[in-house]
Amino acid sequence: MTAANLLLVVMVGGLTAYALLAGADFGGGVWDLLARGRDAADQRRLISASLGPVWEANHVWLIFVLVALFSGFSAAFGVIGSTLALPLLAALVGIVLRGSAYVYRAYGGGAAGPDQLWGHVFAVASTITPFALGVTGAALATGDLAENDPTRPLTNPFGLVCGLFAVTVTAFLAAVYLCRDAAALTATEHLVPGLRRRALGGALAAGALAAVLLPLLWSHAPVVAHRFGERSVPFAVASAAGGIAALVLLWRRRFTAARLAAGLAVAGVLWGWAAAQYPDLVVGSATVASSAAPEANLVALLIAIAAGMLVIVPSTVLLFRLFSRPDLTDSHQPPSAVHD
Amino acid sequence: MGRGGRCDRTTRMSAAAVVLASGSTGLARGQTAFSLAFHICFAVFGVGLPWLLLYTEGRWIRTGDPVWLALTRKWSRAFAVLFAVGAVSGTALSFEFGLLWPAFMARYGGVLGLSFTLEGFAFFAEAIFLGMYLYGWRRLSPRAHWLTLWPIAIAGTLSTLFIITANAWMNVPGHVREVDGKVVSAEPLAPFLSPAAPVQVVHMLLAALMCTGGAVAGIYAVGLLRGRNDDYHHHGLRVGLTVVLACAPLQLVSGDLAARVVGARQPLKLAAMEGLFRTQTGAPLTIGGFYDEASGKVRYGIELPKLLSLLEGFHTDHRITGLDAAPPAERPNALLVHCAFTLMAGLGTALIALAALVAIVALRRRRRGQRPLLPTGRRWLWAAVVTGPAAMLAMLAGWEVTEGGRQPWIVYGRMRVADAVTDGGPGVGWTFAGTVLLYLGLAAALVLILRRMATGGPDPEVPASPPAHPPRDDGSPRDDGSPRDDGSPRDRGSPPDRGSPHEDGPSRRGDGDSEDGSHPAPGGTRPPGAPVPIPAGTGGAR
Repeated sequence: MTAANLLLVVMVGGLTAYALLAGADFGGGVWDLLARGRDAADQRRLISASLGPVWEANHVWLIFVLVALFSGFSAAFGVIGSTLALPLLAALVGIVLRGSAYVYRAYGGGAAGPDQLWGHVFAVASTITPFALGVTGAALATGDLAENDPTRPLTNPFGLVCGLFAVTVTAFLAAVYLCRDAAALTATEHLVPGLRRRALGGALAAGALAAVLLPLLWSHAPVVAHRFGERSVPFAVASAAGGIAALVLLWRRRFTAARLAAGLAVAGVLWGWAAAQYPDLVVGSATVASSAAPEANLVALLIAIAAGMLVIVPSTVLLFRLFSRPDLTDSHQPPSAVHD
Repeated sequence: MGRGGRCDRTTRMSAAAVVLASGSTGLARGQTAFSLAFHICFAVFGVGLPWLLLYTEGRWIRTGDPVWLALTRKWSRAFAVLFAVGAVSGTALSFEFGLLWPAFMARYGGVLGLSFTLEGFAFFAEAIFLGMYLYGWRRLSPRAHWLTLWPIAIAGTLSTLFIITANAWMNVPGHVREVDGKVVSAEPLAPFLSPAAPVQVVHMLLAALMCTGGAVAGIYAVGLLRGRNDDYHHHGLRVGLTVVLACAPLQLVSGDLAARVVGARQPLKLAAMEGLFRTQTGAPLTIGGFYDEASGKVRYGIELPKLLSLLEGFHTDHRITGLDAAPPAERPNALLVHCAFTLMAGLGTALIALAALVAIVALRRRRRGQRPLLPTGRRWLWAAVVTGPAAMLAMLAGWEVTEGGRQPWIVYGRMRVADAVTDGGPGVGWTFAGTVLLYLGLAAALVLILRRMATGGPDPEVPASPPAHPPRDDGSPRDDGSPRDDGSPRDRGSPPDRGSPHEDGPSRRGDGDSEDGSHPAPGGTRPPGAPVPIPAGTGGAR
């Protein structure tokens, strides 16, 4: 395997981590936006608390993938930067607003406008970002891009459905993850039925959208679709199996196992797409061969990544272990945020 | 009329096209400069605050003095907000490099890759351990909690180091072979081998510490000026002021070394910094004034004969390259760069002078056995207030010198800014306008939040410090905590430290900190039905 291919595998791994970890954080924002009824406030509190210690670390996976892209495949990054400006800017605005609004709400104490306002900003931004990233990913597959037409990616039906699919998937993941969190505490147990309903609904909606996406893939991204048929069937099967398993496990209230199944369902989609995309980075304008940095730099990059992962992976495990067991006597938050 | 009008319009349109073409570069530069300036104003705290927190929390662990805990708590909350805004604006920056400078990234992304990748990992580590630090108060023993600061502080410092090497390589590029504008081979460590890297890194790290120390000192000096004469404010002032004033003289040394590298590697930048037009031996050092492009002279400046040659080459006959060595199109904007350099050097000198004065007074007070060592008269306090903005302004001016002095190059001698830019047309203008509006809005909100934090005083468990403002009683009705609340409990403008009455746990270290986790629920007043924040969350065990 060449250094470039190995780097691609690492990037897909990073993208998977981003989708499964940060994706769920965005999905939490989607449910914050959709929270209704008498439990709405409690749901929002649960979502906010679940994000607290981890969202920043989860977010860095995107930076990791981005940096690997522009370091390893600089020419492709140039193409993406000059043709996908609009969806990327939308994602950026979403990222900036989501993060700021979250801390402003958690720490602001109302000093900069009502916390409710920041809550809404947080929720809307959390919804925009996965949509924009979905549109971006789809454009890489269709290659339906033009330098002088920044709105092009937003007019492609496949891209729009992909954006919607991304939002649905993040919402599904978040609902599944939150089920387990809510079930772990007596104080939040009353939220479980609602979250479980949302998770089941999210799974069905994501499945339906996936069914719509497949024919659109063939009509709008024939190059990738062809390779999808050749290479990606195992991934698609794994994804479908994960989705069905998640439904069954949610139904039977096995929330921890449902997390794993839901993760497999989402990862299968990503891996199937990645396998079909190879060796194009942007179909029609950038391939691995045309955009890879010199071999020596790629090797150095891989060594740096390996060294970095030696630090990051154990630290991440430590972080998740530290905050895995809920504890009623815990505040977990600096003084002012206790009641948020 | 018809014909004349059309002709007129054609000229006007072509003129507009020219303006647009050059405007596109200008706008991209403007947006990059604005985003960088915004980001760095927060990023410096991500670098500096963890070191200060290490000190204050370490003092608390050793002494059990609640004042140190109160300072730590306050700063960690400010840190949480500043770090988040720095993180998201930094993400925006890494996208912007590609969106605004696609040609630059396409050509040199691989060269700078190692720096950015390592910076990414440093940032990763910082984010992970910050999560533990901010939310682990009760899950970790005080000592373990303190230990999580080390990776944060080290990673913050390393991320500065890595990112600055990338900038240093843009200033003094090397170890890269290009054929026909394409990189054919590059030493992976190229950014780290740039001669500008060591001096730039040290200069920026010191600047970050000075900005942090100055801001902290300023906040507590304001508190003292308002009559909050307690240990909390004295300790805070002491820590901040010590950092900013101790770094100031070191910054002079590192700045001198940096200027020497600039003189050797980027002579035109040095010429612009000094407003020196004519290449000459025995070059003068010009302090202040405005560089006049037409005459090539600095107006209203103080000229010290031969000093520049002496400083750069240790000899009055040392030859210094002037702006006349390059054709006008290849010169940086000397008016801007000289002003920025004067501003930076002037503010730095003022801080050094203040450091010297404070040191003299402190020594004298120590000999007389007086406490506190630091002078706290009103004038001294006002000087302390100014150190924060002064350090910040000096840092921004320094970046203007670094970046403005490199013009018209994005990579010195290799790629022009104009060739690196996107031809995004009118969209760039809208993007810029949007960025400015968004960032200014966020900054305004952030300033309000930080101001509330700063004026909120310490947590009430600090005996010497009465609450800075009467506690509002809207907290208690909210705390009836019916989970059937209307979903808007957050918008009732609660005081910033409303949670602090519950926070007596860790502060009573004398009572046995081993029971840290087994204290009564922090919400002693939390109603039974109210949900407790749960940490496991979407990121918990997966």
